[in-house]
Amino acid sequence: MPRIRTFRQELPPLALTAVLLAALVGLYSGDNFTLNILATTFLFAGLATAWNILGGFGGQFSLCHGVFFAEGAYLTANMVLGAGLSPWWSLAPAAGLAAATAVLISWPAFRLRGPFFAIATMTFSEVVLVLANYFESITGGPQGMRVPFRPGWQNMIFTGRIAYAWLMLGFLLLALIVSLVLLRSRLGYYLQAVRDNEAAAEASGIDVLRTKLMAFAISAAVTGVGGSLFVMYVRIVDPPTLLTLSDVGVRFALIALIGGVGTGYGPLFGALLVVPLEAWLRAELGAYAPGSNLVVLGAVLVLAALFFKRGLVGAFQSLPLPARWTGRLART
Amino acid sequence: MSATFLSLQGVSKRFLGLLAVDEVSFDVAAGELLSVIGPNGAGKTTLFNLLTGQLSPSAGRVVFNGVDINGQPPQARARIGFGRTFQMSQTLTSLSVLENAMIGSFLHHRHISAAADHAYASLELVGLQHRANITAGELTLSERRRLEVARALALDPKVVLLDEVMAGLNQTEVQGMVDLVRTLNGGGLTFLVIEHNLKVVRQFSHRVVVLDRGAKLAEGSAEEVLANPAVIEAYIGKSKQ
Amino acid sequence: MGTLLSVLLSGLLLGGLYSLVAIGLNLIFGVIRVVNFAQGEFVMLGMYATFVAYNLLHIDPYLAILLVFPLLFVFGILVQRFILQRLQNEPMMQVFATFGLLMLLQNLVLAVTGGAAYSIRTPLSSMAIAVGPVQVSVPRVIALAAVTAVALILQWGLRNTMTGKAVRAVAQDRRAARLMGIDVERTYMLTFGVGAGLAGMAGALLTPIFTLSPQIGGNFILAAFAVVVLGGLGSVPGAYIGGFLIGMTEALAGYYLDPSLKQAAWFAIFIIMLIVRPTGLFGLAGAEEVGLRVQE
Repeated sequence: MPRIRTFRQELPPLALTAVLLAALVGLYSGDNFTLNILATTFLFAGLATAWNILGGFGGQFSLCHGVFFAEGAYLTANMVLGAGLSPWWSLAPAAGLAAATAVLISWPAFRLRGPFFAIATMTFSEVVLVLANYFESITGGPQGMRVPFRPGWQNMIFTGRIAYAWLMLGFLLLALIVSLVLLRSRLGYYLQAVRDNEAAAEASGIDVLRTKLMAFAISAAVTGVGGSLFVMYVRIVDPPTLLTLSDVGVRFALIALIGGVGTGYGPLFGALLVVPLEAWLRAELGAYAPGSNLVVLGAVLVLAALFFKRGLVGAFQSLPLPARWTGRLART
Repeated sequence: MSATFLSLQGVSKRFLGLLAVDEVSFDVAAGELLSVIGPNGAGKTTLFNLLTGQLSPSAGRVVFNGVDINGQPPQARARIGFGRTFQMSQTLTSLSVLENAMIGSFLHHRHISAAADHAYASLELVGLQHRANITAGELTLSERRRLEVARALALDPKVVLLDEVMAGLNQTEVQGMVDLVRTLNGGGLTFLVIEHNLKVVRQFSHRVVVLDRGAKLAEGSAEEVLANPAVIEAYIGKSKQ
Repeated sequence: MGTLLSVLLSGLLLGGLYSLVAIGLNLIFGVIRVVNFAQGEFVMLGMYATFVAYNLLHIDPYLAILLVFPLLFVFGILVQRFILQRLQNEPMMQVFATFGLLMLLQNLVLAVTGGAAYSIRTPLSSMAIAVGPVQVSVPRVIALAAVTAVALILQWGLRNTMTGKAVRAVAQDRRAARLMGIDVERTYMLTFGVGAGLAGMAGALLTPIFTLSPQIGGNFILAAFAVVVLGGLGSVPGAYIGGFLIGMTEALAGYYLDPSLKQAAWFAIFIIMLIVRPTGLFGLAGAEEVGLRVQE
């Protein structure tokens, strides 16, 4: 009889993940250094999960997710600094703005496929970087924007680092829920069909453009929220921090790839490996020679492309474990 | 039946200098089982692509139930009742066999479990139900062809276009497919079939259209058409037999 | 009038530089169907190699081409052989691999040099000639002449030599070329080698003009991508002429709008092009549709 995984069946592993990650936060509750790494890890895990919706499930290699991230950050910064609103109010508009941008650029961008789509989105990201430097009234220009330190729940600014770890864990869980609901929905199946074979998808009544567009919008919306949280976390942002390809837009993709692109939990695994590794490399090597941490990361990326095409999740699946265990992860 | 079910009116397709389909006209009645035959490169697959919207004709019209559908993209035609398989099998290799069929059944069944049930039923039709939970990339070629048929049937189509589904199937499987097509056709489903196996064509076609170098060479019952000297010449003259 | 002439001339010369970087990128793209995100870093390596040759061996930057081209040629062959050849038919992994290479090379140079800025001063590098009322920098004129020569030689070679014909055959239909007895892998290595060598050559020609930095590849690669999309994916004349269009646009936008918006201006052209004619001015129809999808 038909056996198909529904979102309901995703709930137990999701709850388990939440408990394990929360335990991690609890374990390091007194260690601000580690809590910072955890918060960053959760944030980037969520962002990579969001990227994976379009890039992994849909196979559309976007390199402009930094734009959605920056939009969220700038919108929140402006609402807080300009209008004196609570950043909590900016999350939904950030998601909306990012989704609207995604829809807008979809029209030209999805005329292109594969690496052409990647080139176009990369160019878009670079141009937004130029514009972000130019339109100082919105972005503060190259000097950036600074959110004053006024602790308080309503200001989303906290004296203890642990609050940020919880906040980012919340974001990660939101991203995972969105991603898994989508994966187990009709749209999720359509998206995978489009990734596998556009001709077959069309012949099955799927509107390919609409499918990609919806995925792009959802993926962008979650990324926008991530940008909002990021600006409240670091409280100072400038265009390079938000829009440098190798630090932001490409990093989402990189994390997803290393973890296992197109899988539900791959981006999380990727972030759990990459973000702490980077923090460690920066601490160990960064002082020794500038950029040497990125040399290692670049090498990891090349090697992962060559030898771990299916990422950590794929590597785990090929371990000689009982099928009952590995099957769990297969295509989740 | 008032309006013709499906009608091709002077349909042509030109690729740069090459006229792949040359003013082809014929009608298909509802419930009919029509075979399209012809030597390699006769334009059969191009004709199918014009019917299902993968290509748009350079001239002429495709009319379905009285409506000109020339401008409609493939997904719109799937919604109004076109189901098809591809000559080069287009399996969704990372999805499971059941999920492949579900991609079809989602068209009329939004809910996951309903789509899964319906997809499973179409897998049963083609005899792939025992493979439902494996990854489609692991299927053999003949299983992939049957899976494509299942995916097309899961669309609940009004007309199904089969592009050489018998290729690569062994004799038992061919007979199974012939029986399946006949049964479904008996239930009122219209079929257009591109087929190289003339024995099969003879066995089940109500009517046969012969294409040669893009143009319609003959049309009629299998017996008539296959006895037609022009058709024999086209086959023997052009093919490697 | 003088200003417009000056703007147009600077656009033309800038375009020459962009064409120079774009030609290698487009060659690799057109034949192997790989988008080499690290092409800008190849140019950067060419610049540093030229700098080293100048300082240690006292070789003139233009003479250094004879050294830098083979160096990058070999490097390109190695990259193709040991990285990209293993990733044929996997466009997503190719993007990851070349982007990883970008990060690796850029930061390797950063780590080695500590980020110090270098530049070369030769008698030629600051020389200018007068064209009417406008002063034109000699190294830029040399670069323009060089890219014109390269485009002509490449186009001629692709049409008239056996190797060139083999390269075109592979570009058109890999499988058919293989059946004809063409060694596809060797052709790919050769093509990638030449593409990388051209990037190295571009680097040598740019060294007298720009201050070296590990990130300088990024300044050219984006323009080069725009050129490639504009001129036509896989077309040598397209890359050549596309370079001038982008250069002109940038010069005009820089003068009449705002220098910091020049990239936005060519991006606008880029987007319009994608919408109106996604194949580019000289591109093969369908190239962007087929994309880097599986060829066989």
